[in-house]
Amino acid sequence: MAAALPPAAAHPPAISAALTETRVRVNSDFRGDQIVLYGAVFDPLSRPNDVVVIVRGPDEPVRIARKSRVAGLWVNSRPVVFQGAPGFYIAASTRPLDDIARFGVLRRLGAGVDHLAINAPAEQRTETRYGVRDVVVSRLGSDYLDWRRAVVRLKEAQRLYAVDEHGVRFVDKGLFRAEIALPAEAPIGKYDVRILLFQNGQPVAEKERILTVEEVGAARALYLWAHQRPWSYGLAAMAFALAAGWAASTVFRRD
Amino acid sequence: MDLYLPIAEVSVNAPLLVALGALVGFISGMFGIGGGFLMTPVLVFLGIPPAVAVASMSNHVAASSMSSVVSYGRKRGVDFRMGGVLAAGGAVGSVLGVEIFRWLRLLGQADLVVALSYLIFLGVIGALMFWESIGAILRRRRNAPAPPRGDRRPPWLYGLPLKMRFPRSRLYISVIPPLALGAFVGVLSAIMGVGGGFVLVPAMVYILRMPASVVVGTSLFQIIITTAITGVLQAGRNQTVDIVLATLLLVGGVLGAQFGARASSRFRAEELRALLALIVLLVGLRMGLGLFFTPHEPFVLMSGTGG
Repeated sequence: MAAALPPAAAHPPAISAALTETRVRVNSDFRGDQIVLYGAVFDPLSRPNDVVVIVRGPDEPVRIARKSRVAGLWVNSRPVVFQGAPGFYIAASTRPLDDIARFGVLRRLGAGVDHLAINAPAEQRTETRYGVRDVVVSRLGSDYLDWRRAVVRLKEAQRLYAVDEHGVRFVDKGLFRAEIALPAEAPIGKYDVRILLFQNGQPVAEKERILTVEEVGAARALYLWAHQRPWSYGLAAMAFALAAGWAASTVFRRD
Repeated sequence: MDLYLPIAEVSVNAPLLVALGALVGFISGMFGIGGGFLMTPVLVFLGIPPAVAVASMSNHVAASSMSSVVSYGRKRGVDFRMGGVLAAGGAVGSVLGVEIFRWLRLLGQADLVVALSYLIFLGVIGALMFWESIGAILRRRRNAPAPPRGDRRPPWLYGLPLKMRFPRSRLYISVIPPLALGAFVGVLSAIMGVGGGFVLVPAMVYILRMPASVVVGTSLFQIIITTAITGVLQAGRNQTVDIVLATLLLVGGVLGAQFGARASSRFRAEELRALLALIVLLVGLRMGLGLFFTPHEPFVLMSGTGG
């Protein structure tokens, strides 16, 4: 068609992606899942592309405490609540994130576990310092980063946070594939999947997809019952336990 | 075969849990105890959230106590009146215990209190039992006569008001000590995820001076009532009872208890007590000594948002 190369502004690069599975069903034999994502980059100019896939689970405030030595015993400090922490987070990319874009760009996009916008608002207060009003001061002081890093480290140990520097692979020209490992402990809820296309260190196109993790079958029914009608669940569970114990005693009656 | 636990929200190896239930059931049938003090730490070690482990154990302990109390009842080994008084105290104790546990979780100190309770109670009781049973074994070896049992009941037991007759235990005592004992065990049951038999049985023998023939049956009867209340309260207040977990443990536990009860007839009573004392002591030390070592990871995530 067009013989001459079109100007970049007229044909901006675009990205398209689809999850092979949009619903993850958690039933009684759930052991985690592998979610496969396929996508394509459309760029008539064929500039070098980098793709970042960010999967973010429902927000779950994190309560974390630090152990310290009191009279020879290791005792938890008062717990600190971090808001804005996702219950699940994976950033998969074609290259290490730091090579794809600069710190400020990643921070603005919340790409990578180091750039998650998590903070502990209850520990903060504003005060006037050096004549400047409304300066935000954290009661955690200079340890603040230690606490933040600990949140990420502990979540990574539970396989709920991850950075996969080579999790996105180009399988053909413009066609890429990413695999997301969902552990059995992954929280229930709606997951936000963002697929970002980077060129020259800047995000140039973005797509969003939704992944739903839901309990189904008996597991779902029990979970709902226990949380929506906790007293009737508690009574029924205890009645069942007592009946089972009584039944066992009749089966094994020895006299 | 892995099974997903709907409340704990983790998946576990089902045969492993059944086997664990069977092992603890064997020990519990052998020694006539609930075995919660063994099971709860192992569940936590397997990755079940501690709050869910403690709460679900109430259901498990209630079920396994139920399966053995029926046979004690047939042998007239249950003092229902004493059990009822203990359970009345236990009801108050478990309400208190569930609220204390909730408050401790909010403060982030639940782990500390659980670990310390294990260290102190299991440590002290294990050590006392071990000392007493080793003494008995040595006396038997030397063919020495047993020391005269101080059958004199503590006088304060009689000085207290509100006396009540307990015909099956052949006692006429104030209801205050059994009520207080029941309440204390109820608090322990909610905080430690145990039935409390390891406190109740020695206290009934050495403080209330009940006849040995009714001690275990009555303690089981009281444990059923206390743990039933604890279990319902934990489900209602904290939503932490996992019935799938409790059932898995129960399947193994009931089978194990039957073999345990049969195996126990092959050992002498004091040898069994010495063995049990060692197990109690080891579990207490294992749970508690962690507090003294420098942790690899100074930070801990707390379950629940506690809002």
